[in-house]
Amino acid sequence: MKNYTIRNLLEFKEDDLLLSLVSDEKTLDNPINFAHLNRPGLALAGFLDRFSYDRIQVLGETEVIYLQSLSEDELYEKIKDIYSYSIPCLIVSKGLTLPYIAVDLANNMNIAILSSRLSTIKLYNGLSRYLNNYFASEKTIHGTLVDVFGAGVLLTGKSGIGKSECALDLVTRGHGIVTDDTVTIKVLDDALVGMPPQKFGHFMEIRGVGIINIEKMFGIQRVRFNHNIELQIELMPWKDNFDYERLGLVSNWVEHLGVNIPVINLPVSPGKNVSVIIEVAVMNYILKKNGYHAAEDYAKILQEEIKRKTKV
Amino acid sequence: MITKDVSVSNKLGLHTRPSALLVKTATKYRSELMIIKDGMEINGKSIMGVMMLAAEFNSLITLQADGVDEEYLMNDLLELFETKFGEE
Repeated sequence: MKNYTIRNLLEFKEDDLLLSLVSDEKTLDNPINFAHLNRPGLALAGFLDRFSYDRIQVLGETEVIYLQSLSEDELYEKIKDIYSYSIPCLIVSKGLTLPYIAVDLANNMNIAILSSRLSTIKLYNGLSRYLNNYFASEKTIHGTLVDVFGAGVLLTGKSGIGKSECALDLVTRGHGIVTDDTVTIKVLDDALVGMPPQKFGHFMEIRGVGIINIEKMFGIQRVRFNHNIELQIELMPWKDNFDYERLGLVSNWVEHLGVNIPVINLPVSPGKNVSVIIEVAVMNYILKKNGYHAAEDYAKILQEEIKRKTKV
Repeated sequence: MITKDVSVSNKLGLHTRPSALLVKTATKYRSELMIIKDGMEINGKSIMGVMMLAAEFNSLITLQADGVDEEYLMNDLLELFETKFGEE
């Protein structure tokens, strides 16, 4: 688990959540351990069973007005109940102000309070998206990620099998490249997303030539900064006794971070145009995804023909 | 070269699964395999070719093996037909 604190959250500026710190600076180092958010309406009203205290608590206008409507004693008791769970932090939307008792008590009990000028729904969605991305499980693997007809294709295979050359060929045929040689994979919304491990730009090593810059060479339209991974194609040297899929009636799957994607074992041999085969494999995958399965269609036609002849 | 006539022994005929099994068996050997049915002559190592025959139950096909291991290939193929490709 990565160490993530209130300070990190406040430093996040890319998709600005317009956050500012309300409580003391000593609360900046409080840890945030979960990506999930909670609206503590019921907990504030006194129902503390199943209170998701380990999540960031987001307070909207309703909750704040409710707190403001309470007498000082009532407010003190309710807030103290909530704080005693040592919640990671409270975030108030719309730039609303909490009663000073709530802030005072937070400082005493070392609870962080943040304020955002965004509306509750924008804050909730933005924060949720950002934290889910940050806490997403990830791994980095050896492979090349390309965008072929809009489908992210992960090319894998031993070093020297020709992944980079293949990606280069696809780029010259109008497809896009996300990253060469090393791919960082994350799980977002139960789908795999791949990106370069570092923001170094789209460089690639071609044996015999050296390092090239894809973006400078082919332009911005040939590069992607991240892409969903839908299909894996494993390039392997041709083996006489390997059981290659001939019909395509059986699908093989590979698992990454708990997500299964189809995998195609593609034999490569000198003189074989691999990128054309990859284009075809992707188009076939897209057809299947949209409900047309060529192998099944063929099998059906064949079966009908055999049946017709059997009757005669 | 060995030539043998066999009849398709399984009820469903040479649909996708038996065709794939036949081709997979044939590609294990170095000998060439030709299959002849109703005047169509196809390569027994080509899946599309074999399926194109659409050989139905009880129809006659001719197997033609040619090469160094033709006997082994033929024996293996005949066994497939005898065992009805593992079907009914």
